[in-house]
Amino acid sequence: MVITIILIGLMAGILSGMMGVGGGLILIPAMVLLLGIGQHAAQGISLLVIVPTALAGVWRLNKEKLVDFKIAFQLAIGAVIGALISANLIQSLSSATLKTVFGLFIIAVGIRTVLTARQSKLKVRAREHPDQD
Amino acid sequence: MLTKTKLLTIGFIAGLLSGLLGVGGGIILVPAMTEYAGITQHTAHATSLAVIIPTALVSSVIYGMNGNLEPLTAIYLAIGSSVGAIVGAKIMKRLSPSQLKYSFGILIIIVGLRMVFA
Repeated sequence: MVITIILIGLMAGILSGMMGVGGGLILIPAMVLLLGIGQHAAQGISLLVIVPTALAGVWRLNKEKLVDFKIAFQLAIGAVIGALISANLIQSLSSATLKTVFGLFIIAVGIRTVLTARQSKLKVRAREHPDQD
Repeated sequence: MLTKTKLLTIGFIAGLLSGLLGVGGGIILVPAMTEYAGITQHTAHATSLAVIIPTALVSSVIYGMNGNLEPLTAIYLAIGSSVGAIVGAKIMKRLSPSQLKYSFGILIIIVGLRMVFA
């Protein structure tokens, strides 16, 4: 079981590293569909996994002076308040409802990803064959 | 709108999403920072990570207080995913990004449909 979980983490990490998306988007469905973890617990676990991952990222990117802590502070005040509200509210939702909400969210992200990928593909083609436009 | 109010509002929406869905909220933070606060893509990405740390921490505590947390599973997943993220970023440099993103988009639409209907 431990090996399976580490391997799922590895696969999720590879995908999110390749796609430039946060780990939660991939980790949560993997936990729910492959490990049979409940939707609420999967989301809680995802949040806990995100903390050290983001810490490592800030550590690395701060060396390149890319982190604007002043702006981060303002955003974080709003974000923590928002998270306090929604994280409390969803605890009383049924697992099926929360799963549906999450499913709809990743469908939306998927559609957006497909559309932007298609757009950049067209742009590349236009650059390579300017006469065809 | 004042920049301060703008940032608080962007943060608030990202926080709501993070607590609701168990994600970091970067998906809102990064585009909102570049579009509405005039921040460059690289800085926005790095800054969003700094916002995500306290946000995810607060949310995970609330999930934990409601018995919706398995710290051991989280540790194992974190070990795997931190190694995976490095590998993934290296692979990405050798492949065509738009074709890959297209396939990834289709994949998560299918996964999303399964979560909604199964």
